[in-house]
Amino acid sequence: MASDAKPRKAKAGKAAAPEGTEVAEASRPFGRLAAAAAPYLYVTPMVLLVGVFLLYPAADTMWLSLTKWNGIYPPTFIGFDNYLNLWTDPVFITASLNTVYWVAGVMLLQTALGLALAVLLNTSPLAELYKRILYLPAAISGAAIGVIWYAIFNNQFGILNASLRFVGLGALTQAWLTTPPLNTFSMIVAAVWQGLGPTIILFLVGLQTIPRDPIEAAQTDGANAWQVFRYVTLPLLRPITVVVVGINLINSFKVFDIIWTMTQGGPYRSSETLAVTMFRDSFVSFEFGYGASVAMVLTVVTFAVAVFYIRAIFQRLEVQ
Amino acid sequence: MAIVTARLKETRPGGWAVTVLVGILAVAWLVPLWLVVVTAMKTTPEYFHDASQWSLPENPLQLFANVSDAWFTSGMGAGFMASLLYGVVAAGLAILFASLGAYSITRLRIRWPFFWFVLVFSGTIFPFQMYLIPLFKLYQDTGLYDTQLGMIFFYTAIALPFCLFVMRGYFATIPRELQEAARIDGCSDFGIFRRIILPLSWRPIAVLFLFQFTWIWNDLLFGLVLSTSDGVRPITPSLAGLQGQFAHSGPPLVLAAALLATLPTIALFLLLGRYMMRGLTLTTAGRAGSD
Repeated sequence: MASDAKPRKAKAGKAAAPEGTEVAEASRPFGRLAAAAAPYLYVTPMVLLVGVFLLYPAADTMWLSLTKWNGIYPPTFIGFDNYLNLWTDPVFITASLNTVYWVAGVMLLQTALGLALAVLLNTSPLAELYKRILYLPAAISGAAIGVIWYAIFNNQFGILNASLRFVGLGALTQAWLTTPPLNTFSMIVAAVWQGLGPTIILFLVGLQTIPRDPIEAAQTDGANAWQVFRYVTLPLLRPITVVVVGINLINSFKVFDIIWTMTQGGPYRSSETLAVTMFRDSFVSFEFGYGASVAMVLTVVTFAVAVFYIRAIFQRLEVQ
Repeated sequence: MAIVTARLKETRPGGWAVTVLVGILAVAWLVPLWLVVVTAMKTTPEYFHDASQWSLPENPLQLFANVSDAWFTSGMGAGFMASLLYGVVAAGLAILFASLGAYSITRLRIRWPFFWFVLVFSGTIFPFQMYLIPLFKLYQDTGLYDTQLGMIFFYTAIALPFCLFVMRGYFATIPRELQEAARIDGCSDFGIFRRIILPLSWRPIAVLFLFQFTWIWNDLLFGLVLSTSDGVRPITPSLAGLQGQFAHSGPPLVLAAALLATLPTIALFLLLGRYMMRGLTLTTAGRAGSD
C-alpha cells in the first residue's frame, strides 16, 4: 500500500500547484476561502461516516476491553482482568481450539484442494462451465448456507441421515451437529462448499500469469506432470498462494454466519469460534467488557497473520 | 499460441479423465442446491413421510405456496424489502461519497491527500467484532437502534473504505488533459466531477455496486445486532430466526425462505457472474493492502 501511494501523492502535489485553478474563481477574499475549503467538503461525508460508525467504535472497544460492563451501569475499569480470565475460561479455550480446527480444515479442504482443482481445470476444455458451477455457492449468504446444510446434517430428520438409512447404511448415521468436535467438521464442510469456488478462481488467475516457457522446457526435458507441478508451477505460483492463504486464514478466524445458523455455537457452547464467543458473551450474556476482550484477541491474531502475510509479499519483492 | 495450447491439451495424458473427475465434483456441488429446490416444493407432511428425502415433489407448484407462506406469514417479505432498500441505497451512497472523496484526494488541492485516504481505508483493518458493542450502545443512545436510517448509515460506512480504494485507483488513471480542457471551457470542479470523471468511471462503479449490494444483502451480523423488528430487520436475520424453529415451521417452508433470501444474489451472479469474478480479483487487491 505505502509503496504505491507515495509516487501518487507526489504527482498530485506537483500537478495541483502550477495549474490555473484560480482562473474561474472570484478574486474576493470570501471566494478564495471557499475555494480553499471546497476540497475538504468533498471528503467530509466519507470521513464523518467512517469516523462515527467504524473508527470510534473500534477505539471504544479497545477501552471497553479493560472494563466490566453489563450495559446498564457505567463501565468500571478493571485493568487486564478480562484478558487474564480468558485463559482459564473453558468456553474461550474450546472456541480457540475450534478456531484452530477451522483454520486447519479450510487450509486443507479449501486451499489445497482449490489449488489442485485450479491446476486440473487450467487445461480442461470445460473449465468455464466448471468454474461457474463451483463458484455458484459463493453467491449465497452464509446464513442461507447454514440453513441449507442444517437441512442436510440435522440429526433427526436431516437429508444425510435419512439417505444413509435408506440405502442400508443406517450404522453410519451420526449426530452430525450435536457431537463435538464432529459438529465443527460438519460446518467446515458447509463453509468449503461456499468458499472453494473463489479460491479456485484466484488460483486460476495466478496460473494464467505464469509464462508457458519454463513449463514447456521442463516437459521437453522429460519431467512428468507431478514434477512440472512441484518444481515449476508451484514456485511460480507463490505470490498468489500467499494471497489466498492469507485471505482464507483471516476468513476462517472470522467465521460466524454459518455457525450461528447451524448450531448457534452449541450444544453447550461446544462449537463456537472466537467470533461466536464474542457475540454470545456480549449480546446473550451481556458481559460487554469481556466480549470486547475477545474481540481484541481476535484483532491481535488477525493482525499477526496480516504482518506475516505482508512480510511474505515484501520478501518476494526483495527477491525480485 | 492457441494452437500450442490446443496441442498441449491433446497430448496431455488423461486429460479427459480429469475432465470427468472434476465433472463429478461439479455435479456433487450442485446436489445441495437441487435438494433445496426439491424440498421447497414439498408440503411438510410429504417431507416427513419421505424416507429417503430424495423423491421428487408430488406437486412442484407447492413451491409458490411455501414461498408465499414465507413471504407473508414468516416475515421474510418485510426482510426482503428492507434488504433491497439497504443494498441499493447504502451501496449507492457509499459509491457516491467515496467518489467525491477520491476526486478530492486525486484531483483537488487538498492537504495531506494520503492521510485522508489512510484514515478512511483504516476502516477495513479491524474484524467486525470490534465495531459491535459500541455501535449497539451508540444506536441505543441516539435512537438509531432498530431504524432503517440507522441501518443505511452503518451499511454506507462499512462499504465506504473499499469503494474509496477502488475509485481512487481508477481516478488516477483518467488523463488530466480531460480535466484541464474542461476547465478552460469554464467547467467548475464539481462540474468536472459530475460530467467527466463520473461518466468515465461507470465500469468500476458497476462492479462496486454489484459487490457492495451483495455484501449488504448477505450480512447477518450487523442485522442481528442493530435491528429487531419486522420492516427494519434485513432478510438474513429473519431467515436465521425462522431457522430457529426448523422443525416447528417445517423444513419445506424454511428452505423456501432460504431460496427467497438467495434468489437476488444468485440471479445477479447468473446475469453478471463475469464481473463478480473479476470483482473478486479487485477485492483481493484491496485485501492485500488491508489485511
